[in-house]
Amino acid sequence: MLRSRRSEWLAAFALMAPFVFIYGLLFVYPTIKMIELSFRAAPLIGYGRWIGLDNYRRLWSDRLFALSFWDTLYFVVLSVIPSVVLALVVALGVNRLKGWMQSLMLAAFFLPYILPVSVVFRLWQWMFDKDFGVAQLLIAPLNDGQHLSIFRTIPLFLPAVALVTVWWLLGFNVLLFIAGLRNIPVEIYEAASLDGAGRWAQFRRITWPLIWPVTVLVFTIQLILQLKIFDQVYLFSQGGRVDATIVMVEYIYKQAFQLNKGGLAAAASVVLFVLIVALSVLQYQLLRARGAR
Amino acid sequence: MIRKLLCAAAAASALMVGVAQAKETIVWWDFLGGGDGVRMKALLEEFNKEHAGSIEIQPTTLEWGVPFYTKVQTSAAVGEGPDVMTYHESRMPLGVSTGSLSPLGSEELAAAGVKAGDFGAADWKAAQGPDGKQYAVPLDIHSIILYYNKTLLKQAGLLGDDGRPKGLDGAANWDAALAKLTTNGVSALSVPTADNASVWRVFYTLLNQQDGVFLKDGKFLDGDNLAKATAVIGEMQKWVKSGWTPGKTEYPASIALFTSGKAAMHINGVWEIPTMVDLAKSGKLFDWGAIQIPTLYTHPATWADSHAFAIPDRHGNPVSPAKRALVLQTIHWFNEHSLAWAGGGHLPASLPVQDSQAFKDLKPNSDYASLAKTAVFDPVSTLAGVASPVYDAAGNFAMPAMNGEMAPADAAKQMRDDLQNQAK
Repeated sequence: MLRSRRSEWLAAFALMAPFVFIYGLLFVYPTIKMIELSFRAAPLIGYGRWIGLDNYRRLWSDRLFALSFWDTLYFVVLSVIPSVVLALVVALGVNRLKGWMQSLMLAAFFLPYILPVSVVFRLWQWMFDKDFGVAQLLIAPLNDGQHLSIFRTIPLFLPAVALVTVWWLLGFNVLLFIAGLRNIPVEIYEAASLDGAGRWAQFRRITWPLIWPVTVLVFTIQLILQLKIFDQVYLFSQGGRVDATIVMVEYIYKQAFQLNKGGLAAAASVVLFVLIVALSVLQYQLLRARGAR
Repeated sequence: MIRKLLCAAAAASALMVGVAQAKETIVWWDFLGGGDGVRMKALLEEFNKEHAGSIEIQPTTLEWGVPFYTKVQTSAAVGEGPDVMTYHESRMPLGVSTGSLSPLGSEELAAAGVKAGDFGAADWKAAQGPDGKQYAVPLDIHSIILYYNKTLLKQAGLLGDDGRPKGLDGAANWDAALAKLTTNGVSALSVPTADNASVWRVFYTLLNQQDGVFLKDGKFLDGDNLAKATAVIGEMQKWVKSGWTPGKTEYPASIALFTSGKAAMHINGVWEIPTMVDLAKSGKLFDWGAIQIPTLYTHPATWADSHAFAIPDRHGNPVSPAKRALVLQTIHWFNEHSLAWAGGGHLPASLPVQDSQAFKDLKPNSDYASLAKTAVFDPVSTLAGVASPVYDAAGNFAMPAMNGEMAPADAAKQMRDDLQNQAK
């Protein structure tokens, strides 16, 4: 008995060791170094001298950092909630289809997800282009017949990027929801309809509670992903009023790679890291508690 | 048997080492991915062919802008990277401050045949760091120019008998010409008004045409330079407000507006020359031309930058003296052959090439070559240069003002304060 437990341990360790090693080398160690760097007046490469909390103080008083913080949260609200709700609606629809029709629809929704961000950017940039974009046929009538540059109009920028993001990533969420929906046994629905439950009652009393764990998962994945938003915002704002729509990772990029301020960028990264951990734990606990009720 | 095999293997490897030593390789990095990159590729092939058996350049083209410079900086810091690379002169101060560049001694330059006198004074100086040392050798001068549609200009009576535009000098004349050229469905001038770099280049050109100083002694837009900047931004705003120039136009769209005949004139870099030449060759372009940016204020001046060659400061693994000599000879070869590079629209930095009959015969380059004499390079600062905070500031302040979203005076002030704050 004792012997087998030991060999169990050994096996477990042997199986986990490569991952633990790589995890330690490529995640834990750099994270510790990053935290250390955030207390230094460091350039992008090199150590710099120890300055205590100065980088954090600078962040606190930096108007641009505050802006990037609020822009990031605003973007999360704009992208996470619609993408989860919309994915559930689409999944419910697709789930009703049968056979090849279902596969076709699923593929249609999933296809954008496999595109690289650069392609997504080019597609939408040209579709929305002020002078030649096909979307201007729809936009112009809403804007007194004038063409409008969506991505160069500051109040429209983050909502527009959120729209593109939802379109791009929706397929993955739909897939998760479909997997969840398929796990609900058909017998439950049959029993419910025998008892005279309508479609709405079935959704509220069966589908919604049983799909809840998947919803929490999708929410959390999306939250973490969108807090780290960079690519799309960077690409669409490129060459324009970048500061007006800056998000946190973009701020970090700017400080580290453009301005050679590694220490300040590390401090901003630590803030983002803490924010992500705090928000995702909080959200997960909140949603799970609600589901358990 | 085994001994025989070993001997043979040893002999073979000795032979291979011998061959490898006879042929030197130069690792080369550039960021020339555009239309001009094709021309560089042809030049590289020519070089390798000419030096077959002695020198071989192994080129890699990387992403332009911040990604390129970050890669250079990080690889130099760990002793990796190329033997030679392209570099923007405007980026010298930042490159020197991050320890990415190795200074070039006057003796080794002379030994390779590279002479300061072969280059324009401003151009040569822009290849120096703030410490006065030479860090690069210029290859070209690239700038912005005015592309024009001859048919549309003729209709408006703005084309001289020599096929060049007339009556565009002076702000009042320029404005009148723009008004005249704007007719139903055609704008007078397309500029990438949604692109910070383009806005910066036009702004800096017009600021220097009235002796405005953007940065001096660590102070941005000091004294009456603020008023001059405000005037320039006001002028640029007028183009959009009056409907002469479409606002918020993306870079590719601004080119398309011109090439489709929807804009009579177009301000953009010389690097778009291949676009026009290729379109014209396939018969898809009207009769066109290109000239130096007209003088709107007191004297001619045009923003300019240079592609230059530099040797990275590979920490702990420097490029060996013998390799450096070879690299500098190679750089000299490329300058001697820069006429081919000029096909990409650029002006050769090398004065002997610039003065050669072959270049004078090269159209349309020679039509705007005069700009080199009054070219103004970006301010010397770690905050300035291509893809720098100064470019960003142009996008954050001058650009919205041009597009009518901000008052010119506010834009100039905010641009000054933002950069001054970053300089701290």
